[in-house]
Amino acid sequence: MNWPDSPNDTPLGDGRFASAVERPTDRQELADALGRLAAEGIGLYPQGGRTALECGGIPARPGVAIDVTGLSRVVDYPAADMTITVEAGLTLAELQRTLGAQGQRLPLEAPAADLATIGGVFATDSSGPRRFGNGRPRDLIIGVAFASSKGELVKGGGRVVKNVAGYDLPKLLTGSMGSLGVIVELTLKTRPRPEATALCWSTWPGMEPLEEVLGVLNTSRTRPVALELLNGPAAEAVARRSGLDLPAGGVVLAVGLEGTETLVSWQLDVLEAELGGASGLVPVRGSDADRLWGALTDHPAGGLALGGEGEASSALSFKANLLPSSVVAFVESIDPGRWEVQSHAGNGIVWGLGRPGIEVDRLAEDVTRLREAAVSAGGNLILPRCPTDRKPSLGIWGAPRGDWELARMVKRAIDPAGAMNPGRFL
Amino acid sequence: MAVAQSVDISESLRAELARAVGPENLLHHRDELVVYECDGYVIEKNVPDVVVFPTSTEQVVAVVRLCNTYDVPFVPRGAGTSLAGGTLAVGGGVMICLTRMKRILEINTRDRYAVVEPGVVNVWLTRALAGSGFHYAPDPSSQTACTIGGNVATNSGGPHTLKYGVTVNHVRGVELVLPDGRVVEIGGKAEDTPGLDLAGLVVGNEGTFGVVTKVIVNLTRDPEAGRTFLGVFESVDQATETVSGLIAAGIVPAALEMLDTLMIQALEEAFGFGFPTDAGAVLIIEVDGLEAGLEHEAEAVAEVVRRNGGSVKNAIAWTTRKEPEYVAIWKARKSAFGAIGRLSPTFCTQDGVVPRTKLPHILRRITEIGAKNGLRIANVFHAGDGNIHPILLFDERDPAQVRRVLDASHEILEECIACGGSVTGEHGIGVEKMEFMPRLFSPSDLAAMVALREVFNPQGRCSPGKMLPIGVGCIERKSPGRHAPA
Repeated sequence: MNWPDSPNDTPLGDGRFASAVERPTDRQELADALGRLAAEGIGLYPQGGRTALECGGIPARPGVAIDVTGLSRVVDYPAADMTITVEAGLTLAELQRTLGAQGQRLPLEAPAADLATIGGVFATDSSGPRRFGNGRPRDLIIGVAFASSKGELVKGGGRVVKNVAGYDLPKLLTGSMGSLGVIVELTLKTRPRPEATALCWSTWPGMEPLEEVLGVLNTSRTRPVALELLNGPAAEAVARRSGLDLPAGGVVLAVGLEGTETLVSWQLDVLEAELGGASGLVPVRGSDADRLWGALTDHPAGGLALGGEGEASSALSFKANLLPSSVVAFVESIDPGRWEVQSHAGNGIVWGLGRPGIEVDRLAEDVTRLREAAVSAGGNLILPRCPTDRKPSLGIWGAPRGDWELARMVKRAIDPAGAMNPGRFL
Repeated sequence: MAVAQSVDISESLRAELARAVGPENLLHHRDELVVYECDGYVIEKNVPDVVVFPTSTEQVVAVVRLCNTYDVPFVPRGAGTSLAGGTLAVGGGVMICLTRMKRILEINTRDRYAVVEPGVVNVWLTRALAGSGFHYAPDPSSQTACTIGGNVATNSGGPHTLKYGVTVNHVRGVELVLPDGRVVEIGGKAEDTPGLDLAGLVVGNEGTFGVVTKVIVNLTRDPEAGRTFLGVFESVDQATETVSGLIAAGIVPAALEMLDTLMIQALEEAFGFGFPTDAGAVLIIEVDGLEAGLEHEAEAVAEVVRRNGGSVKNAIAWTTRKEPEYVAIWKARKSAFGAIGRLSPTFCTQDGVVPRTKLPHILRRITEIGAKNGLRIANVFHAGDGNIHPILLFDERDPAQVRRVLDASHEILEECIACGGSVTGEHGIGVEKMEFMPRLFSPSDLAAMVALREVFNPQGRCSPGKMLPIGVGCIERKSPGRHAPA
């Protein structure tokens, strides 16, 4: 089988296209299709809302797109148990609407929630600013079912919040990038929706005081759910995307809060004192806060993943994972003329989006230097977005790690045909 | 049939092991080994041929390599508090006891992690963090004895995991000695290490993936304050309806534990903590967070308690978890198993999970099952998680009672499965519950798990005969319980 000469309308990323699309509406049908195609040596490329299509290595062999959006039912929602079981093709936004009707939510945010499927969010281990207070996808998943290239349906975990029977397949599938199988069903823990949320948007003339400020916030009397650090151009982009009239032009630290109205107000007062050195302080509440949360969540994905907003998109982006205490120095070392930088500073995560108009060669030099810095600080640096021709030389998934060999063996054990998302991850 | 068997440990292997760990860190006399014949699950026993106490990763590697050279099975062990036979030396061989690797290597509150050796006792880390504003969240009832390495093996829970999550939610990475002696760093101090979440997979492996020799754990910010109180009820039904009512009302307590009347009486006889002995059931309810919000939350909880016919007693407002009343109430809860001896010479603790709304149902069924089998059953458990721990009381000298306990246990766990739950919330499958795995999982689910085990442990030399039933003969259980502490 060859790559299609004339691309149809189903992209696989990196300028490659699917030879066909399978869009089953039944999970057994999906598993059967995987088994049949894998036996023929055909590559299998799972897709949901296609918001992370460009992420990963170059598709390595011609194949078929496996579209999960036909599987989008709510399987079971016992609201009083605070769990929900859904099929993978449901969008994150639709899931949140279902939960919202019962006063609940999944305490997880991801870019392009209207498009992103819940299966894709978990397969790519997506998260947003509030991971600092509310945890990561791995903290919310208690059960999973996936279809394998052997044509089987495999499940792990269950539907109860505490369960240690068997190996933790829900954790293994979270962040597996479609390389083990196609997630078809997830059971998730839900939480009550908070009565109120707010953000305290603080502006700073420079980065210098911020490590001390973050140290203070680490033991703050408040309990922030998000600590977002933005360099100048990222602050401008986020302010613009939110549509709010927020002061930008310098470094911004946005502190997120949730809880009852009383608690949120009390914490905003306390923060005013703890952020005393800021040159400006704007509390953002109510629907304005919702818009700012949305902008902070969507921004790291850049314009591209969100599709058709008419914004210039960056050709190259990175995500560094560091110890939180290394974040300020790391961000300070990045030229704001070349990069928009946003950090989930409480978690040590730093996103960089190459600014439009900057030569890829310059950005690539920075990536190499920043990765070395990240690795020597005990972290790593991956490239969620990278021009196809640079992918082989720049290394999408960061500096090699000691456990990659084991990860590849896990991949071979679950997908012996090597059919799942070939070339992209493992 | 019984699993007891033995491998031939040659003199030369014993001598080499002694050289690897030092003769002072090796036991091989029969009378010394008896202590290691079982853990908290006493039904099946088998003495290992040798027990070694390595003090470093290098020594663990050396021991594992020797086991490979001599083709001898080995099993890691922490404090031996497992309740499902997770550390049973099935097939004898070498037991690698990690209690002498007990250093806290690093505490970093700015970056919210600590690095510990596997033999560090859970509560030592809590003590080391006192006053720092941070704590290690998983707090099993056995936390004064159990090790963090053991917690990683079984993905331990505890009362406060309702709000804060179980062990897997708090492990960032491990150093693992693979069963072939290679050492691999999994995960790390920074979050989101690229690659598969192997740290998530390793937690809860029950010793079947190798020997964990270092653990990087999350540190959690302390709550500013809390309220802990008793909800006192005339009946178990009222208490379980209250649990369902709290969860349904969108209240997430820090802890929500239930004790029934039999358990209350035993605790009062043993320790005199001041629980109301005429109550049908008691809930220990704890909320925590910012002081400014606690009165509101506590009142909302009290309202649900009252609506279900209960009353609120012994309200404690605390800020440090060190107030004497606070310490007393949790000491009482965590001493529950110790008090059982007042009721019965032997007991069997079960560990099932049901959806929280099914608690009233499962507790009624437990009562019926107890009555049908002529058994007394006490209940003390993590109600907020739906994680039940019925304690079946019996006298092991009476074979008829023993049979009835086995039948009743089985029936309770079957009912948990029928409710959409699980046969273990925190104790593990071990050797005890392997027969239930095919009830919870399909052949393809189990085949995937076997394939994963073979990635780490292809020869099956590490912890053979655990967790996954495939290729393991049916084990006939002759006795279901353990001895009450004297």
